[in-house]
Amino acid sequence: MSFLKFIIKNPFRRKNSAILSIVGICIGIIVIVALGGITNGLVSTFEDTIHAGGADFSISGKETGDSAYGTNTIDANWTDKIANVSGVEEAYPIYVILTSVGDDYMNTLIGIDPNGTQLADISMTEGRLFKDNASEVILGKIYADDNNLSVGDSLKIDGEDFDIVGIYETGDSNMAGAVFTSIKKVAEINDDEDSISNIYVKVNKGEDAQTVADRIDSMYGDNITTISSVMEMEQMGSMLNMLRASSWGISLLAIVVGGLGIINTMLMSVFERTREIGVLKAVGWSNRKILTMIVGESLVITIVSAIIGSVIGVVLCLVLAPMMGLSPVFTPDIFVQAFIIAIIVGIIGGLYPASKAVKLPPTEALRYE
Amino acid sequence: MSNVVEINNLMKSYENGHIKALNGIDLTIWEGEFVSIIGPSGSGKSTLLNMLGALDLPDSGSINVAGYDLTSNKKLNEFRAKKIGFVFQLHNLIPNLSVVENIEIPMFTSNLSNSEMRSKALSLLEQVGLKDKASQKPSKLSGGERQRVAIARALANDPSIILADEPTGSLDSKTSNKILKLLIDLHKSNNVTLIIVTHDMDVARLADRIIEVLDGQLVNTSDDSLLENKIDVE
Repeated sequence: MSFLKFIIKNPFRRKNSAILSIVGICIGIIVIVALGGITNGLVSTFEDTIHAGGADFSISGKETGDSAYGTNTIDANWTDKIANVSGVEEAYPIYVILTSVGDDYMNTLIGIDPNGTQLADISMTEGRLFKDNASEVILGKIYADDNNLSVGDSLKIDGEDFDIVGIYETGDSNMAGAVFTSIKKVAEINDDEDSISNIYVKVNKGEDAQTVADRIDSMYGDNITTISSVMEMEQMGSMLNMLRASSWGISLLAIVVGGLGIINTMLMSVFERTREIGVLKAVGWSNRKILTMIVGESLVITIVSAIIGSVIGVVLCLVLAPMMGLSPVFTPDIFVQAFIIAIIVGIIGGLYPASKAVKLPPTEALRYE
Repeated sequence: MSNVVEINNLMKSYENGHIKALNGIDLTIWEGEFVSIIGPSGSGKSTLLNMLGALDLPDSGSINVAGYDLTSNKKLNEFRAKKIGFVFQLHNLIPNLSVVENIEIPMFTSNLSNSEMRSKALSLLEQVGLKDKASQKPSKLSGGERQRVAIARALANDPSIILADEPTGSLDSKTSNKILKLLIDLHKSNNVTLIIVTHDMDVARLADRIIEVLDGQLVNTSDDSLLENKIDVE
């Protein structure tokens, strides 16, 4: 038998107590893993949303308020004005209208210059982009799935047949169920070529998006407003920070609660094995070896907890998160965090009882009844 | 014959000097000798045994056992691991380990590999007649068998001295005789110095020499009257 095997066997001598400790620490680990997975899932969705479209911020009419995709319009010549603001690299207008699309009496139709789609928050999953001023559309995946439409089919918009040439995905719920075509077609359908809904703006490389947005606000703030994805990012970022903080808070709680639990278990174990510790000293075990044994036993409990807790955490998350519309993402750092916490709890929980064991005079330990 | 224990004017007191457990002990024990230490409860015999096994440190005097100076706190673990085998009144076996694993416990301080530890433990079990019980848990053994396992454990690191503290104290007389015979046989075959603390004169008389402790002092260490009825264990 090796020393390691001896250490692994020992904690399970008192099965009930070991299981209780494991359950206690497991709960902490499950929460850490589950929360970590959900936080990561949110971060990745959020990053997809922010980075899929290349626009740094968008501009809308003053009266549209905070809605990025309001159907209120601004004059089309704002695009040129914004494009000329220093720091702006590209500005593309979009034109959002509600019109009859397919079987729907009203649906969102978004018009954009084909070159401007790179600034929109969409990524093509099938087919190609529409051509400028052609009777072609691309559909949001949700819209396509809901209406059983695919590339090659045709779609009636405001009485005119359009060819479906592509399908896109987006992290933006406003666009997921929408239909895109060229901005000229939308102007034609709406019979208003002098209006647009929003302008997508991309700033020059190295330029701070917020600074440019502030510049536009100071120049034209009376008529238009900037809706900065930087601002959204800040809001989302603070929410994610809160989630991360609560994950660490729970970790800390797990350390304290788990640590106290394990101290109790190990103290009981040392107490019950006083005479045995006396024997180990009598047969020549050094204090360091006894300390290693007790801390090792404590670590066995916490590492077993980390393994079980991680598995349960992942399974629970994969089962429950989709029901809440979340898609968890598990990265190695979540498990590293869980195991580091388990190891810290194991060491902290084992050290105090171990020091008690080490300090026991062998003669007293051997006399212990 | 060289001496394995050399004690001079050994003093040990407890409770700020109010209880003098050892009060000027002088003692020499020869290599390979079988000595029994007797005395009433509280006489200091167990304290003396603890000093011999480096489980406790003296207040003053000198004590040298198997070449180790036991007055300082240095190398005491090494001394206990290499030179001493303890046999206690209670077997003190670890319940969740098998018999053979219990014997391996002291060997964790040696440099033996796992397989070397196992084969040595099995050969010790053979010596105490329990090889067939190697994989059993101590709870499956009788009291005498457990004490035999404890004796095998005491021999695990080839000690120079076996210190036995009332080794038959919790056994019936028939089992006691068997255990004593085993201890004496091993003491002879392995040329190990055997020191037994007992309050049982029948046990004490088996020894080559009886040392009587009273109020922390030795009395009649060479008194032949104690040994004139020396008996052999059946």
